[in-house]
Amino acid sequence: MQSTQEVFEQLRSVLQDLFEIDPARVTLDAHLYNDLEIDSIDTIDLILRLKELTGRKIQPDQFRNVRTVGDAVTAIHQLLQQKPAAA
Amino acid sequence: MGRRWNGAWRIFATGFSFACFGIGAVLLGFTVWPVLRLSSGNRDVADARVQRAVSRSMRVFVWLMKSLGLLTYEIRGLEKLAARGQFVIANHPTLIDVVYLVGLMPEVDCIVKQALWRNVFLRWPVYWAGYISNETGEGLVAACAATLARGRSLVVFPEGTRTKPGEPLNFHRGAAQIALTARVPLRPVTITCDPITLFKGNSWFRVPPQRPHWVIAVGDPIPVEPYLNEPQALAARHLTQALIRWFEVSIKQQLGGSPGAPPDAGESQHRREQ
Repeated sequence: MQSTQEVFEQLRSVLQDLFEIDPARVTLDAHLYNDLEIDSIDTIDLILRLKELTGRKIQPDQFRNVRTVGDAVTAIHQLLQQKPAAA
Repeated sequence: MGRRWNGAWRIFATGFSFACFGIGAVLLGFTVWPVLRLSSGNRDVADARVQRAVSRSMRVFVWLMKSLGLLTYEIRGLEKLAARGQFVIANHPTLIDVVYLVGLMPEVDCIVKQALWRNVFLRWPVYWAGYISNETGEGLVAACAATLARGRSLVVFPEGTRTKPGEPLNFHRGAAQIALTARVPLRPVTITCDPITLFKGNSWFRVPPQRPHWVIAVGDPIPVEPYLNEPQALAARHLTQALIRWFEVSIKQQLGGSPGAPPDAGESQHRREQ
């Protein structure tokens, strides 16, 4: 089981990898759209990558209320509590 | 005739012009446009007919404002807009930029924001002309790319709304995403207005001290090929940055008064020699 800190670090490296976002800008209260300029199209890429990394199915409404990096970390952490999807 | 009289006249005439625009949109929206819309069962044919009529009425509106002494304008490189199936992007300093652009392009699709689909005057023209709504979010890029793939022209303001004067250009990445998805070059159009009027947050009755002059300059195409071998999320970022730099240079040159020297002047020179 990953801690929220580990999830946060992993999300940082995913954001750098996918979108070239400087990890220093990725703080828990950074707003995904306003501060990190992650738009709705990026969100699709991000959710695809999270599916691959976590091996879990992701329902769109699980991320609907995500606004900040902290929200995303919480959502991913909850996702990891679920059973992995059958491969 | 004093300066004050001139200002008062232009406020009255601007109000009159905008009233004509609204009344014209409603009248045509209930008569000519729906008839043209229904004149063919083929959607593309019907769209094209309505769009040509809308384009003509936009030209009439610009003619009206010019005749009333409200503005002057010049168009540079108009011949470059003649070809069909072009993806036109423009900066967006003033309220009437789209009026000029649609007037210059007889058949062109536009993305129209939600507020206008609910506007009593404008909902009918945008509906009958088959313009694209920005409501769909992620589906929007695909819808725009599909429009281009059908050989139709599309105009997009990458800023999404009018420029705030004095602030750096801020482009959303949607325009880059559309070009990368459709794999078509971007045709940049630089719009400047001096002295600036009808900008974001400026009321129509605050007319500038002198009659404003618009310059609408059509640039040479910006290819997407250099960006196609990286993931699209990154390509869209890099291309958007390049577009912002292109427009910053172009706007500065255009306002600086050096006539017709777009940032890629060397390239266009080269093409002319071929």
